[in-house]
Amino acid sequence: MMSDMPGLNLAEGGRDSARLVRVWDPLVRVIHWFVLVGVLLNAVVTDPEGDLHEIVGYAILGLVMLRLVWGFLGVQTARFTAFPPNPRAALAHAGEILRGDRTVHLSHNPLGALMAYNIWATLIVICITGIMMGTVRFFGVEWVEELHELAFNWLMVSVVLHVGGVVLDQRRTGVALVKAMITGSKNIPDGISTK
Amino acid sequence: MKFPFIAAALLVAAPALAADLAPEMELGKTEDAVRSALTELGYDVRKIEEEDGEIEAYVVKDGEMAEVYVDPATGKVSKVKG
Repeated sequence: MMSDMPGLNLAEGGRDSARLVRVWDPLVRVIHWFVLVGVLLNAVVTDPEGDLHEIVGYAILGLVMLRLVWGFLGVQTARFTAFPPNPRAALAHAGEILRGDRTVHLSHNPLGALMAYNIWATLIVICITGIMMGTVRFFGVEWVEELHELAFNWLMVSVVLHVGGVVLDQRRTGVALVKAMITGSKNIPDGISTK
Repeated sequence: MKFPFIAAALLVAAPALAADLAPEMELGKTEDAVRSALTELGYDVRKIEEEDGEIEAYVVKDGEMAEVYVDPATGKVSKVKG
């Protein structure tokens, strides 16, 4: 395979000088930040029993669904095949980090991938239980409300872990990850290989 | 019946749920009293809890949902959210 030969593909493998690599397309970035805004709105601004809370919730669900579709149809780094959910790979990656490996993943690294799937799943649980609460069948039913709140609390834990992971990975690799989610490009430092 | 007056009023007029439970209607001063009053009126009481010093009941009737707020001091309905 051509792509397996070192030096032929600058974006994959190979050691190169400092460079910018385009990784996140506009849709991925817009969805990421809009979901964040939506979560903040429904967490602290909107009245949980009001119409706006519902509208924002539906918007978040729509954005997550769009992202999941994009996981099949999108550009390479946005596809699930670029970051399959793989706990064993995540463990191996954690081991690599501890051993001082500084390889940069152009899409999500295996640990970040698990976090992405976790956050999407959690958001879907929050949205579905939220919708259920407004149906005659589940209106006022305790476990639905409890699951909604439990999932929200788990989302808050996840967000803290997500931000912590981003900060640690920025320190480990020198790639400005937050900036990459804004501009779309990862700055790969000198002498760092990518996969 | 505990609340014959209310029940009679409901039997005469059978409007939509939100209109059934007008403010000032007396339901009871405790969660138990409110629950049994609403149940006798034909509501499916899904949940009763205290919220901001009021008794809040989640009720369903004829496929319609509402949150009924009762002031525990007076035992009267203070607000109905359809």
